[in-house]
Amino acid sequence: MTKIIFHIYVLLLCFSFNLTVLASNFTEEENFVTSFADSAISILSNDSLSDDERTSSFTELVMSSIDLNLISKFVLSKAWKNASDEQKEAYLIAFKDYFVSSYANRLDQYAGEKVDVVGSQEAGKYVIVESNIIREGTDTLKINLKWRLLNKDNQIKIIDLNIEGISLVIAQREEFQSFLSNNDYDLDKLIEKIVSVSD
Amino acid sequence: MNLRILLVLIIGSILIFQGCASKGTELNNSLSQQEVSKANDPFEKVNRAVFSFNIIFDKIILRPIAITYKAVVPSFVRNRITYSLNNLSMPITAVNNLLQGELRKAGVSTSRFIINSTVGLLGFFDPASSMGLVTETEDFGQTLSVWGVSSGPYLVLPFLGPSNPRDFAGLLSTSLLDPMYQIGGGSAPDSLRTYRLGTGAVDFRSQNIEILDDLQNNSIDYYAAIRSFYSQGRESQAASNLEIDSSEQENDIFDDFEIDESYVGPDIEISYD
Repeated sequence: MTKIIFHIYVLLLCFSFNLTVLASNFTEEENFVTSFADSAISILSNDSLSDDERTSSFTELVMSSIDLNLISKFVLSKAWKNASDEQKEAYLIAFKDYFVSSYANRLDQYAGEKVDVVGSQEAGKYVIVESNIIREGTDTLKINLKWRLLNKDNQIKIIDLNIEGISLVIAQREEFQSFLSNNDYDLDKLIEKIVSVSD
Repeated sequence: MNLRILLVLIIGSILIFQGCASKGTELNNSLSQQEVSKANDPFEKVNRAVFSFNIIFDKIILRPIAITYKAVVPSFVRNRITYSLNNLSMPITAVNNLLQGELRKAGVSTSRFIINSTVGLLGFFDPASSMGLVTETEDFGQTLSVWGVSSGPYLVLPFLGPSNPRDFAGLLSTSLLDPMYQIGGGSAPDSLRTYRLGTGAVDFRSQNIEILDDLQNNSIDYYAAIRSFYSQGRESQAASNLEIDSSEQENDIFDDFEIDESYVGPDIEISYD
């Protein structure tokens, strides 16, 4: 009996070593993510920069790589369509500041992590590039990152970052929807709140 | 507790909450013509109250412990702890792999446990991964989702945090199914349980100190942010168990919203202070 169980284990072991390789079809998009990550890391690991300089070069890089306008509209969802032009303008300005302030204070926390691109695939009108961040001091503790990219007029822009199955844009959208539904769908209140949080 | 009573309780609670869940969905459908992406959270008021309680508990007990742990224990040792917790979850992962009909993955989990517990010095190292034996941990909540049980409404449990009826049932049954708890039955499994629960909480919290602090400070609605993170995380695990590409579900959400291109917006100068 023990012998049979042992044989089953050996059999299972053989099956387990089947390594799967992700197909990579979108070289351009993959290179975009790699070069974005490289630029970001070189800014974050540059000790000669002051905190302000680091934040402003990082922001410059991020703003040129993401489609913030699209993201801003997307996270507001239906409320965007019902907004007045004044509200739209106030919201876009508030959201941009909020977005920058969400990372501005944590740029000094970079600890030597690397981003490895492992593959890419088509997803509707988007391309998803999959990558891993390897935790410092280990070779196997990974964090999975998926970048949702939109290639519009030969310009690639980041639309969303998905960390271990959690889409940051969708999370932001659900947060805004929840705030609105608890505040009589008053967009002005949301804008006020966004401004107060980013200060 | 008597095994049979517990099972009846679990199955009963799943059925009851399934009922609630489908009712909730109908209600949502009729309401949500106007609203987009309404979360399945009919007990929001109670949940928010428990959530506030958990934040206080976290503030005065868990977070200080996690901060001390991170400050005192070197990262090398903390990484060993993470590995050992992962290793201890391999037997229950193997059981769940089998219950999900994943023979190959059950083989990987079992091999990982055997190799890392021996060659990997009681699981503090992870030679199995370098041998290509890589697998995700699985719990009974995920198995229930493979079996077609839907998550039901969002629940916030005291001390334990975000959950739902399916995952809570999974949590209760884990102690029945986990081979680690069935061996011996004496004091050793008890101390193992304490190690996993206590250290697991501190390990998780210490890995997320900055993230959760930032999230709490920068949130428009912290409760909703955590709810979205939990639901999305569990959904994507469920999708990967069923070998569905979770980004496909996201595509629907992303495609669902037609971007209004008519309003381009002002050219905004950014200030970085």
